[in-house]
Amino acid sequence: MTTGNDNFDAPRTAALLSRLLQFGDSMFPIGAFSFSLGLESAVQEGVVTDAATLRAFARSAVEQAARGDCIALITAHRVATAGDVDTLVRIDAQVYARKLSDEARSMSIRMGRKFTEMGVEVVGAPLLYTWRECIARSVTPGCYPIALAINFAVQDLSAYQAFVVHQYGVATTILSAALRLMKVSHIETQQILYELTGRTEEMYGIAATKRLSDMASFAPLTEILAAVHTRAHVRLFMN
Amino acid sequence: MTSVAFHPWARAESLGASMPEFASFQDEPPQMQSGAVGKTGFLRLGFEHRSGQTILANLQCRAPYMVQRALHCDEAMPSLASVFLITTTGCVLQGDRLALDITLGSRAQAHLTSQSATKIHAMEANYAAQSQTIALDDDAYLEFLPDPVIPHRHSRFLSDTQISIAPSATLLFSEIIQSGRKHYRPDECFGATVLSISTSAARPDGRSLFAEKLVIEPRRYEMRQTGVMNSFDVLANVILCTPADTAERIHERMQAEVNLAEGMAFGACRLPNDAGLIFKVLGRETAQVKAKVREFWGVVREEVIGAALPPLYLWR
Repeated sequence: MTTGNDNFDAPRTAALLSRLLQFGDSMFPIGAFSFSLGLESAVQEGVVTDAATLRAFARSAVEQAARGDCIALITAHRVATAGDVDTLVRIDAQVYARKLSDEARSMSIRMGRKFTEMGVEVVGAPLLYTWRECIARSVTPGCYPIALAINFAVQDLSAYQAFVVHQYGVATTILSAALRLMKVSHIETQQILYELTGRTEEMYGIAATKRLSDMASFAPLTEILAAVHTRAHVRLFMN
Repeated sequence: MTSVAFHPWARAESLGASMPEFASFQDEPPQMQSGAVGKTGFLRLGFEHRSGQTILANLQCRAPYMVQRALHCDEAMPSLASVFLITTTGCVLQGDRLALDITLGSRAQAHLTSQSATKIHAMEANYAAQSQTIALDDDAYLEFLPDPVIPHRHSRFLSDTQISIAPSATLLFSEIIQSGRKHYRPDECFGATVLSISTSAARPDGRSLFAEKLVIEPRRYEMRQTGVMNSFDVLANVILCTPADTAERIHERMQAEVNLAEGMAFGACRLPNDAGLIFKVLGRETAQVKAKVREFWGVVREEVIGAALPPLYLWR
């Protein structure tokens, strides 16, 4: 990390920062806006009713991601930097095997495939072509954390930056869905986002020290809400 | 300790030594050493289908695990072998290492349950670990429905279950986890230090189906948080591995609901790789949760076997 002015490569840093913003943007066209990460059911069932319960629900989701998907994200980033496709396929299978609801799987795969596709078209690194090929030939499902890790690794963006983007994405997916699903103001959602992103460093510490087999979770009510959502008659979001 | 790797509980031992959530609990109890004789139990149950009935063809056990014999007491399924798992100590203590191996041969049908709840006692050193393997051959059918786990305050417990299941076989496996002895003392509710419960399943050829690792650390993560446990105290985690068409019929029949007023939430999701379903239940009291698991069990039995459940035991 460059801190002082010595050897500070301003144009390169500016380019990397711009790319981080570009690929981490909640409006990046990978379809995040069509998911609510369980918030839709949570609002319908009266689990999330106001800004306080929304904050807690979003916090649960961000914590669950740090304990699960983000371990795979950080591992995959290291493996992608080494260009080891076989190991990436194995990591992807493990992430997929831990998505225990239809909607969680379809979200991860849809976003992962779109992200890979966009990477091929915009960045165009050889590893991205290989990964797209693996997905097209059904060698691998193509989950989102792996796609994000590969994309950032080939752009020389760090695992830490990929982690920040992942967690920011989880939080903004829920918070922007909240604006459409419940009575909450833009000010409140921004306050929640600010508070959640303040814990990024601490959560990176949780994820970065773990092995793939340590991926864990504990959010039973969120999982039951996913089961409720599949059966809901009125649905605005895909999960 | 060169021969340790050959012991049935060696897996439980090595998991406890490598999982990060147990890293700070590697100290030895001041009483008997972890994994010493008397602290290592194992049970191997091998069921076989022979001349129209399932028999317990292989039984090896070491205290505190014990099994007497298979009973054929289920009127709706006369060929079903029913077995009660007995633990002679009545609870799980620090330093315990337990191993349970269950094998069902082709077309074998068995029902496994425990005599009572599994109480995990408070721990001041080390932890308790159990490793379970379940292997089901073609068309085998196993109901593994033990009574709830009651973690006491300051308990540390690791459970790891590995399933190998043929595509035509059915496994119904339920784990009911209580928050603790909440009616005894308020701080017993979510008073455990760590509960780590892993389950993974694969086909006999090694193809992975799904994996789940639940890590409950109430001091690190707020249990009452929205989306985690909210106001609920008891969780049932029920895994059903069964062929996809059967799973679909069962999924159709099971409702999903969150009812905060009555303190009940439940729902089933489809597992990846056409493995079956996962059914979760949350409730405030164990009885509600057990009743809902029984309802699911009834649907499973009806759709898979076409048989009804036995009547409820008077004392369970």
